[in-house]
Amino acid sequence: MGRSSLAIVFAGSGGAGAMTAGELFLRAAATAGYYGSMNRLFGPQVRGGESAALLQISNLPITCQPDNFDLFVALDWHKVDQFAAEIPLTENSIILADPQSGPVPQNVARSKARIVSFKMGDPEATPLERALHGKHTNVFAAGAVGCLAGIDPAKMRAALSTVLGSKAADVQRLNAASLEKGAAAAATLALDLDLAPPKPAPRWLLTGNQAIAMGSLRGGVRFVSCYPITPATDLVEWLAPRLQQLGGKLVLAEDELAAINMVLGASFGGVPAMTVTSGPGLSLMVEAIGLAVAAEVPAVIIDVMRSGPSTGIPSKTEQSDVNLAIYGGHGDAPRIVLAPTSVRDCLFTGEWAVYLAESLQTPVIVLSDQALGQAHQVIDPKPDRPPPLARRIELPASKFKRYATDSDPVTAMPPPGTPHGQWVGEGLTHNEFGIPVSGAAAHAAQLNKRARKLAQFDPGAWWGDVWGDGDTAILTFGSGAGAALEAAVALGAAGSPTRVVALRVLSPLPLAALATSLKGARRIIVMEQNQGAQLYHHLLAHNAIPPTADSMARPGPLPFRRAEIIARLAAQV
Amino acid sequence: MTENIVTAPNMLADAPPGTLSARDFHSGATPIWCPGCGDYGVLSALEDALATYGRPPHEVVLVSGIGCSSRLPAYTSCYGFHGVHGRALPFAAGVKLARPDLEVIAVGGDGDGYSIGGNHFIHACRRDLDMVYLVMDNRVYGMTKGQPSPTTEPDWDSDIAPGGIGLRPFDPLALALAAGATFVARGFSAQPHDLATVIVEAIRWPGFAFIEVLSPCVAFRREEFDWKASVHPVKQTIENDRAAAHAAILADDGFGLGVVFRDYRRLKPAPEPQRVTLAEIESEFRIGA
Ligand SMILES: Cc1ncc(C[n+]2csc(CCOP(=O)(O)OP(=O)(O)O)c2C)c(N)n1
Ligand code: SF4
Repeated sequence: MGRSSLAIVFAGSGGAGAMTAGELFLRAAATAGYYGSMNRLFGPQVRGGESAALLQISNLPITCQPDNFDLFVALDWHKVDQFAAEIPLTENSIILADPQSGPVPQNVARSKARIVSFKMGDPEATPLERALHGKHTNVFAAGAVGCLAGIDPAKMRAALSTVLGSKAADVQRLNAASLEKGAAAAATLALDLDLAPPKPAPRWLLTGNQAIAMGSLRGGVRFVSCYPITPATDLVEWLAPRLQQLGGKLVLAEDELAAINMVLGASFGGVPAMTVTSGPGLSLMVEAIGLAVAAEVPAVIIDVMRSGPSTGIPSKTEQSDVNLAIYGGHGDAPRIVLAPTSVRDCLFTGEWAVYLAESLQTPVIVLSDQALGQAHQVIDPKPDRPPPLARRIELPASKFKRYATDSDPVTAMPPPGTPHGQWVGEGLTHNEFGIPVSGAAAHAAQLNKRARKLAQFDPGAWWGDVWGDGDTAILTFGSGAGAALEAAVALGAAGSPTRVVALRVLSPLPLAALATSLKGARRIIVMEQNQGAQLYHHLLAHNAIPPTADSMARPGPLPFRRAEIIARLAAQV
Repeated sequence: MTENIVTAPNMLADAPPGTLSARDFHSGATPIWCPGCGDYGVLSALEDALATYGRPPHEVVLVSGIGCSSRLPAYTSCYGFHGVHGRALPFAAGVKLARPDLEVIAVGGDGDGYSIGGNHFIHACRRDLDMVYLVMDNRVYGMTKGQPSPTTEPDWDSDIAPGGIGLRPFDPLALALAAGATFVARGFSAQPHDLATVIVEAIRWPGFAFIEVLSPCVAFRREEFDWKASVHPVKQTIENDRAAAHAAILADDGFGLGVVFRDYRRLKPAPEPQRVTLAEIESEFRIGA
């Protein structure tokens, strides 16, 4: 028989290789035909500090972190207990620890999880071998867990060689030996952790950040300028070589002010352009986002949100840039703000953002978050894509007025090089030709032109995702959606049908579609990961939800989990 | 690093005589500038230079920030962008990187380029993209009505800094040299013919060409009209020897006009990456059956 899902943690100090163990195990399980997900936890050190790989393997797609972990594999205990709050264990959990690593720390032992003593590392290795090649405890442990979960050993070996990549042959050989020894050692344990047989199918293994990057490439982005910032940097590092191999350009700017202005310049030049950042960088970009609105220049801005304000917690998640993304900046500067509803949806939303920016000549901000962006997930491949939309560039038959107000509010923006198309992009209030003016009528005319662009934007079926029709509705976005969905499934099975509404378009709010999706809901609860209930107040301000709607808002960095949501819904009557 | 250095071709040969005139680069819009503002001279020098250079107006992009001087793009018939204060250079870099086929010229004032945009100035010198940066330096914030800028004399009296700001001004040419600029020049708005010659040379320069233009502000710094008596040609154009150029600039009184420095030495560009398709990139994610 076996379990339908298994949640595992590999944790250890710097150099213990918890992440490698996690990646190897996830890849092997995925190749064997399971769905899976892995999130990463790091201590405060820049490099080489303690870390934990949080994994879940299942026969069903995984969209959030588990309520509890079934197995905690301690590669060592050095400072690992600081993660205790982020690694929930129960008395049904199992802790696998090497007695040589010392006693289980208080924080972790408090869970009353069953402690299984397990010697990790090759007992036959000579001291010289260990000194030369390390102990490979992580690979040994991964081998052990592969055996416990019943993963095909051939898949484990193949995953190991993928993860080791181009490492030298002797390193490969020693690691392969550790993998085998770990599996052999675990064969003697009877822990009842094996998984039900997998259901293999073609799948993709990727992170949310990679998925957004891929989506943007599909959408035609061929210029990216950015400044490094956690947790957005890995998106750009993945993107950099690939963008260049597609003939695009990636520029490491001197700061975010430069990054966003370079993006506007490239876009003015006619090339779909994007920048990638997190909260502090988005704060710096705000003035130029207003410029993009006023001068009507397409731009895609990806914000992988982290805990704020200020520098906050760089490596950990939060959804607290909602206000900044929607309202940030001076003057009336409406723009489109999107949020992917899952790692899988990052592909769609990343591509759609480009089309919307190009076709409406406006900045589009995509609010991802660390929990989505840095989650490694196994997903069903996503063949469906948004229909391509392009920029309007053809000159009108009549006299060309770049900022004409008497026609379709989306006016032609010929790229430089187009004969007779010359225009000057203008951030000052301007007339229809783009000449700066300061009269009330021209000011209103241009504000209206830009407002009309957004008013006529119809997101169609893509405004958001709706699951179920229960009379309790959880309204959420981003990484909250997966957890809400898992809670709704459990509540439905327990006789309380619950629907989930995940907004993909946060601004301008898709009011009609949202009203339809909430029809018949007796309880509405807006769930978001920030203290100020930013989405809730945004929805209230636009009468998108009734005043009786409730708010479930709390700051990060802990992810929403199914149990927390169910408890919160039970408490609210 | 030295083995990585190559020599740029000499691009300073005269172009064939063009068929364009300065008027072809004139938009007809009426400048907001005060009568007598130095920026008029810069505008006419730029139009002359573009006519001499010979590419049509629709292949030229003028980018600016905010300030009196930054109004210039709309007075020409080229493509243009009047962005936010201080960010002309990154915007211009974006245009040039995305569209290397275009002629890109960034313009602005000393406040725009050396104060709020100072960081971008340093990095534009270092990035060395093939574009021109023309700063109309009037040693004052004109548009906001007379505050001291990073090039203002320490004892210049103003409402916001009575008795003077009391800070040493910096020399933009020295800064450009320190940041790695490969073409550094100074011009004067009251000598538009000479200025046009320098601008043509700057446009032809295959890298970042920086021209600091002394451009008096008639409204707040009338005394700058005395610059006529102070300016003089630079003794010589120094080539490749950055240390000698530094010494020459520091020894100069700040009124030497002409091309001060040209550096023909270039870093080798990174090798072109091998091309792939979107489908090949997507296949990296594939796993399992
Ligand atoms: C972010 C920002 N801060 C301040 C201003 C106000 N401002 C407009 S122009 C200017 C100074 C312009 O001086 P300079 O660049 O020397 O140009 P000039 O007007 O002298 O030609 C300032 C401070 C602004 N527009 N934007
Ligand atoms: S204030 Fe000075 S810089 Fe501005 S237009 Fe008048 S003279 Fe020129």
